[in-house]
Amino acid sequence: MPGYGNDCSGNTDSPLLGTPLVQLEDVSKHFGLIEAVSHVSLQVESGSIFGLVGSDGAGKSTLLRMVATMIKPSSGKIVIDGLDVMSQKMRVKPLIGYMPQRFGLYQDLTVGENIDFFMDIFGIFGAERGKRRERYLGFSNLLPFVDRLAGALSGGMKQKLGLACVLVHQPKVLILDEPTNGVDPVSRQEFWDILGEMRQGGMTILISTAYLDEGEKCDHMGLMHKSRILGIANPEEFRSHYPNLEEAMIHRIKEVDEGLIYDRFGL
Amino acid sequence: MNLINIKAVSRKEFYHLIRDFRSMYLAFIIPLLLILMFGYALSLDVDNVKTMVVDHDRTELSRDFIRKLDASSYFKVIYHLRDTVAAIRYLDQGSTTMAVVIPPGWTEDIKADREAQMQVLLDGSDPNFASLSRGYITAFVEAYNRDRFIDFLNRSGKERIEPPVDGRIRVWFNEDLESQNFIVPGIIAIIIMIVGAMLTSLVIAREYENGTMETVRSLPIRGGEFLIGKAIPYFLIALTDVLVAVFMGQVLFGVVMKSSFWLMVLASTIYISVALSLGLLISIATKSQLVANQIAILVTFLPSMLLSNFVFPVENMPKVFQLLTYIVPATYFIDILNGLYLRGLGLDHLWPSYLVLVGMLVVLSNIGFAILKKEGM
Repeated sequence: MPGYGNDCSGNTDSPLLGTPLVQLEDVSKHFGLIEAVSHVSLQVESGSIFGLVGSDGAGKSTLLRMVATMIKPSSGKIVIDGLDVMSQKMRVKPLIGYMPQRFGLYQDLTVGENIDFFMDIFGIFGAERGKRRERYLGFSNLLPFVDRLAGALSGGMKQKLGLACVLVHQPKVLILDEPTNGVDPVSRQEFWDILGEMRQGGMTILISTAYLDEGEKCDHMGLMHKSRILGIANPEEFRSHYPNLEEAMIHRIKEVDEGLIYDRFGL
Repeated sequence: MNLINIKAVSRKEFYHLIRDFRSMYLAFIIPLLLILMFGYALSLDVDNVKTMVVDHDRTELSRDFIRKLDASSYFKVIYHLRDTVAAIRYLDQGSTTMAVVIPPGWTEDIKADREAQMQVLLDGSDPNFASLSRGYITAFVEAYNRDRFIDFLNRSGKERIEPPVDGRIRVWFNEDLESQNFIVPGIIAIIIMIVGAMLTSLVIAREYENGTMETVRSLPIRGGEFLIGKAIPYFLIALTDVLVAVFMGQVLFGVVMKSSFWLMVLASTIYISVALSLGLLISIATKSQLVANQIAILVTFLPSMLLSNFVFPVENMPKVFQLLTYIVPATYFIDILNGLYLRGLGLDHLWPSYLVLVGMLVVLSNIGFAILKKEGM
């Protein structure tokens, strides 16, 4: 197979990036007979953005939910900052900020009350509380809407509030599941600008997306298809053999699908 | 247990509560309405039974009997009719519930020392009411007989004779047999179930439906902290409702507690916690507000009303239902409140009921914790 790096390992030779902060070793997840995630191994270096790209139903959400301690892997091991996600869940949770695909904000609470709830849980009080509120609501241009009910925000603003809520405890690892799905292009750009700034500040980001142009903004991309990671590389490497990223992806997916058919017929 | 987490969840839940009109209505308006409705309208006492009389005899004696009947506080003669056909028509219409028919020759029979028969027609469609009416009219006729008997003996020259056995009835604990004394504890039990279980049955289902449960689960907060934090605002509301009900019972209905106020508060605290655990458990298990609400009515409100010895006496129920009453928390709470309110009992007599409630609390809350834990919280 023409590869873009190894099937199951991260690109570790980039000089810009630090040590692996998130490590997945041979992680699988079954729901009954269905294998949602199959033998995934990957590493996310400290201070980098790792993008999981793939179509709907590829297993991206399941993979991210396992990293975010939400569900237990059927097999394999996930380590974040040296802590095992399964056995040290309560110690891992403060390190991560997880924004699910359908991020549940409290619609009947105001913008300020929503972010206060997160600060309450993470024990951010005193002078720091006001500072963080300013900073993260400021980032997302939500300060003028502090007293507005979250339910009355636009879709893009809701996503930015969600991001502010998961950022407010300044996690080491940010896990975002298709955060810009259905968001207008301007808000998407703003959203990515915030992520860029966070990365500058040393945050590690694991994000899934169905948009290839967003994949381009990542330091590494993992192409996920039919519950497996087909390849991990940086966007330039993916692009190097093909005129654009889209063709590269489609070609790679076709290749694998054909491979699966051969497998099935024992050829 | 992390108190900061509990406080954070409580505060958030409090905001939900004050912004939700339906919850506020259930929490404060319904309890007030229940107290007023049960206290005033649903009096379980029977007096002034609407009575018709058909006097075929038309003598002085029969008129005297009817006068005495009307003068008693239990009966109110509203129709004097010519024949039973009319009486039956009024019974059919439901405008009265009892008819007394005095046949012709009644006085003659009495004077001739023959058995003088008299017919009483009762509307049995409300059995409770009918059996009370029957008791009253039977007692009334007996008293009338006794008066006549003594009168006869006295007039026939004997010394004043007292009847050989004179049963003097004294009612204990609720001397005036006022049903309000019994209703106030029952209302408190039902209000707690409404506020405690029916309101809280919605709160976790709401988190699942709005997708906020996923958010909460990603936070460093344990299932126990989450549940306790959720329960606290509802606990405070339920306790407020109890105090309001006790106060209103005293002011409006003159129902005064004979035993310790603090024992009542203790019992209420435990019972509220049972109701909250039950509501939260329903919420966790169903994950849907609509289903949770239906189930909450079915397993909390209705049994508290029907199977708790409140409105319907347990002794009259079939065996199966009698056994069911043992698993209804309200049964034990009403038992405690009656003990405290009417009988002036203390913990030395009431501890078994307290203990059962504590047991229920432990079981229900642990099932709730276990389910949340299984869901990865």
